Amino acid sequence: MRAPTSSLRERYPEHFQGFGRDRFVAAAIGFALFALLIYAMGHLGFFDGTLLAGFGRLFEIVGLMLPPDPGSWAHVKTFSVSLIETIAIALLGTLSAAVLALPLAFLAARNVTAQRVVRFLSRRSLDTIRSVDILVWALIWINVVGLGPFAGALAIMTADIGSFGKLFSEAMEAADRKPVEGITSTGGSHVFGIRFGILPEVFPVLISQILYYFESNTRSASIIGIVGAGGIGLHLAEAIRTLELQQTSFIVLMILVAVAAIDFLSNRLRFALIGRRGGATA
Amino acid sequence: MLRLEGVTKSFAGKHAVDNATLTVPVGQMVGVIGRSGAGKSTLLRMINRLGDPTSGRILFGDTDVTALRGRPLRAWRARCAMIFQQFNLAGRLDVLTNVLMGRAFHMPPSRALLKMWTDEEKAQALSALESLDMARMAGQRAETLSGGQQQRVAIARALVQEPDIVLADEPIASLDPRNTKVVMDALQHINRHLGITVICNLHSLDLARGYCDRLVGMSAGRVVFDDAPAALTDATARDLYGLEAGDVIGHAPPMALPAGAQPGFALAGS
Repeated sequence: MRAPTSSLRERYPEHFQGFGRDRFVAAAIGFALFALLIYAMGHLGFFDGTLLAGFGRLFEIVGLMLPPDPGSWAHVKTFSVSLIETIAIALLGTLSAAVLALPLAFLAARNVTAQRVVRFLSRRSLDTIRSVDILVWALIWINVVGLGPFAGALAIMTADIGSFGKLFSEAMEAADRKPVEGITSTGGSHVFGIRFGILPEVFPVLISQILYYFESNTRSASIIGIVGAGGIGLHLAEAIRTLELQQTSFIVLMILVAVAAIDFLSNRLRFALIGRRGGATA
Repeated sequence: MLRLEGVTKSFAGKHAVDNATLTVPVGQMVGVIGRSGAGKSTLLRMINRLGDPTSGRILFGDTDVTALRGRPLRAWRARCAMIFQQFNLAGRLDVLTNVLMGRAFHMPPSRALLKMWTDEEKAQALSALESLDMARMAGQRAETLSGGQQQRVAIARALVQEPDIVLADEPIASLDPRNTKVVMDALQHINRHLGITVICNLHSLDLARGYCDRLVGMSAGRVVFDDAPAALTDATARDLYGLEAGDVIGHAPPMALPAGAQPGFALAGS
């Protein structure tokens, strides 16, 4: 036996009103977005046949790339050295970005920094860093420190401070409140709450984000190499420009193997660092 | 002596705790009872100052707890340990570190943040764990333990605070009957043998009657009963719990378990 709907509606109007209108608005927004997608595709030439015509050319290029061939043994050696340089750029850039982003992330996290002004400033500075793409940072740093891998590492570092700062601070904000409360209840200071309440909770998340960025930056590093910031990108750009397509595919293959190896190793490293249950702690 | 004077806490115009006035003498074991949402947790959290009263005062001796800020506030929290329903341990940290957090107020951060504990601190934490039969688990991560074990870790953390008061917010609500007895016995031991005041929120009336010297009944944020357990008639209890009365009254108390079925509990009467 329950109270009649009308009396419930009277007592809890907030749960009944506006339901139909919300759904109409959702449908309207969905339709508008779909229409925009179709219009944009048309504008970019999706429907005027260039794509279909281009497909033939795509297969032609792929055909020319096969089989992958470095050309000579000397090339293999040059490429390998450059690939190692690329990985070094990615590793150095990612690690230094993570180290510099951590304090900024603490300042930007709502549950760590109560000071609204500090939080606002750190968030906006992270936004500013992030709004400049890695390629642009590479061009800037080349002008500052000259061509070469140092510029590449600096580019990755600056670009990723912004991303890490955002990701880290969001991980901290998502951390469970209970361990912190437990420490607060003992009379522990805010710093203790952060160190022993939040940090152990977010440690595995930070590690996996850093390792993913390392892997992803290995790919980015080959792109910024094209503008002259060191690494294998230079050879890749050269091979494409001179239409050495078999060399191009060989380099792409090398990058692929390197990224797969990093993925494999980073998984092992991640489990070693965060430990399976009962293992080492932060 | 802990005194609450007209303590009120409002959330969005609703009174979670409404004009609560209480005096708790040193060494008493008080059970706060009432249905879910009666304001029991809010009341306890205000005593530890995890929540601030909207109005009213909380006094401990001559100290106005509600006026404390900064370091004196943390000193107060160190003196009034809190035990939570969900244990509130850092799951990824080992048991010992969790217990050492009970010393957090007394440690210099420069050393403690690098986990450089003194032997003295470690010994104190281990001895607290030992008294709860948990010392063997000291190296394990807290999240690998069962609920009852985690709550014992939380009690050990409270013990190393060397508190004047222990506040327990539904400490057994997440536990099975066997662990319920272990945890309640531990709280009783802390009260009887160490002379520490214990204020314990309990949903189960039978447990509250069995373990506490005094019962405080709350309903819709108000203190509606305050007397010895014997004075609480079934009729009053039914008023207090309303629809939930059937769940909390007349169930076999978990104390009836055979003695051999419980893990040993031997708090050294230090």
